Amino acid sequence: MILTPQILVRIVAIAFLGVLLQLSFFSQVELFHVSPDVLPALVVCLALLGGSLTGAVCGFAIGLFVDCLLVEALGITSLVLLGIGYGAGLFRERFEIHGALIPALLCMGLTLLAELGFAVIQLMLGIDAPVSTLIIRDMLLKSVYAFFLAWPIYLGVRRALRPALVEDPKVRRRREPTVLGT
Amino acid sequence: MYRKQVRRRRAVLALLVIGSFVLLTATYQGSRGFQGGVSTIFSPVQSVADRALKPARDLVGWFDKTFDARGENSRLKEQLVKAREQAVAGQVAMQENAQLRKLVDLDTGPTLAASAYKEVTGRVIARSPTVWRSSVSIDVGSGDGVQVDDPVISGDGLVGRIASAEPGSSQVMLLTDHASAISAKVVPAGVQGVIKPEVGNPEDLVLDFIDSTGKEIRGMAVVTAGWRAQGLASHFPAGLPVGEVTRASVFEQEANQQVHVRPYADLRNLDFVQVLTGGSRQ
Repeated sequence: MILTPQILVRIVAIAFLGVLLQLSFFSQVELFHVSPDVLPALVVCLALLGGSLTGAVCGFAIGLFVDCLLVEALGITSLVLLGIGYGAGLFRERFEIHGALIPALLCMGLTLLAELGFAVIQLMLGIDAPVSTLIIRDMLLKSVYAFFLAWPIYLGVRRALRPALVEDPKVRRRREPTVLGT
Repeated sequence: MYRKQVRRRRAVLALLVIGSFVLLTATYQGSRGFQGGVSTIFSPVQSVADRALKPARDLVGWFDKTFDARGENSRLKEQLVKAREQAVAGQVAMQENAQLRKLVDLDTGPTLAASAYKEVTGRVIARSPTVWRSSVSIDVGSGDGVQVDDPVISGDGLVGRIASAEPGSSQVMLLTDHASAISAKVVPAGVQGVIKPEVGNPEDLVLDFIDSTGKEIRGMAVVTAGWRAQGLASHFPAGLPVGEVTRASVFEQEANQQVHVRPYADLRNLDFVQVLTGGSRQ
C-alpha cells in the first residue's frame, strides 16, 4: 500500500466510522442473544490490504479509541487488536490471497482469536464474578457473524483504499493496454 | 533494504505493545482524564449516530424478538398468573399496613427512599462490544447533576450505577458487569445477600452470601437492600426492584449460599434510562 496523506485520511475515516457503527449499532443489536463485533474484522481487512505495520497501527489506534469512548481500562483492546492486525498483515505478506473466501475465513478465525485474547487478558486482570459457559457461545457466534460481515467490510475498505493498492487486479487490468501499446 | 524494513516493522510493533502495557498500567493507577476528554468531545457525534441508527437497530431487534416470541409468550402467561396472586396479596398487605401505621402513629409520607432522589433521564448512545465489560454510555453527565455511583434504573427495574461522569456524558456499569456487586434482599422472605453477575449470561444474576432460611423463595422478588450503618450508606435506595428468583435449589442455598435471579430490566435492549441523582448525598 502506498501511504499518502489522502490515504491516511481515508484510513482514519474508515476507522472512525467503524468504531462509531460498532458502539452505536452493532453492540446494541442482538441476533440469537449475541451482538456482532466488527472491529476485529475491520482491522483484519485493513491489515490484508495494507500489511502488518498498517494492521498493527490501525489495531492499536482503533482499540485506543474504543477504550477512550467507553472510558474503560486503556490498553486491553489495543493490545488484542494490534495482535490480530499484525498477524493478518503477516499472512498477507507471506501468502498470496487467491480465493474470495480467504478474507472472510481469516476474519472469522482472527475474531475468535481476538475474543479468546480478550478473555485471557480479562481473566489475568481478575474477574470478581462467576463466568458462564454461555461465553463460549458468544465467542463462536461472534466469529460466525464476522465471517458474513467480512464480505461487505473487505469490499468497502478495498474500494475506499483502491488508489493506494499497487496489487489491485482492477488497477493492473486498466494499465495493461497502455503497456502493450508502447 | 528488506532487513531494514523488517527491523523497522518489529520496532514499531514492540513500541505499540509497550505502549499498550503503559496505558494499561496508567489506567489502573487511576489516570482517566484523557479518556474523559475524548469521551466528552465525541459524545455529541455518538448521540447523533445513535438516533440515526435507531430504525436499523429496531429492524434487527424485531427479527431477534420474533425468534424469542414463542417461548416468551408461555413464560409471560405463567408470570401473569403469579402477578395476579401477588397483586391480591399486596392489596391485603397494604390495607393491613395502613391500619398498623395508624396504630403506631407513623407519618404516611412516601415510604420509598427513592423519593429523595431526583431523576435525570438519559439516552443510551454507546455500548461495550464485549461481554467481559458490561457498560453503556449515556448522553447525560456531570453537567446534568449526575455523579459517580448514582443508581441507574429503567422502567422495569435497576440497571446499574454510574461508573464515571463527564460534563456531557457518563458511563453506566450494568448489573451484568463483573465488577458489579449490590446488596439486595428477597421479599417477602427477607433473605439478604449480594447481587453479582454471571459473566456472559445477561439473563442470570447470582444472589450470593445469603443466609438460607430453608424457605421456598423461587419466584419471589429481589429488591435493593439499601443499608445504612455507622455513617455509611448504600448508594442504592431500599426497595428498587432488581429481579425475580428463578432458580433456588436446596443444594445451592445450603452449600453455596446462592440463588439465581433474572433481572427485571432488559439489559440487552436499553434505549432510555433514569439516573437517580442526589439521594445519598443529601
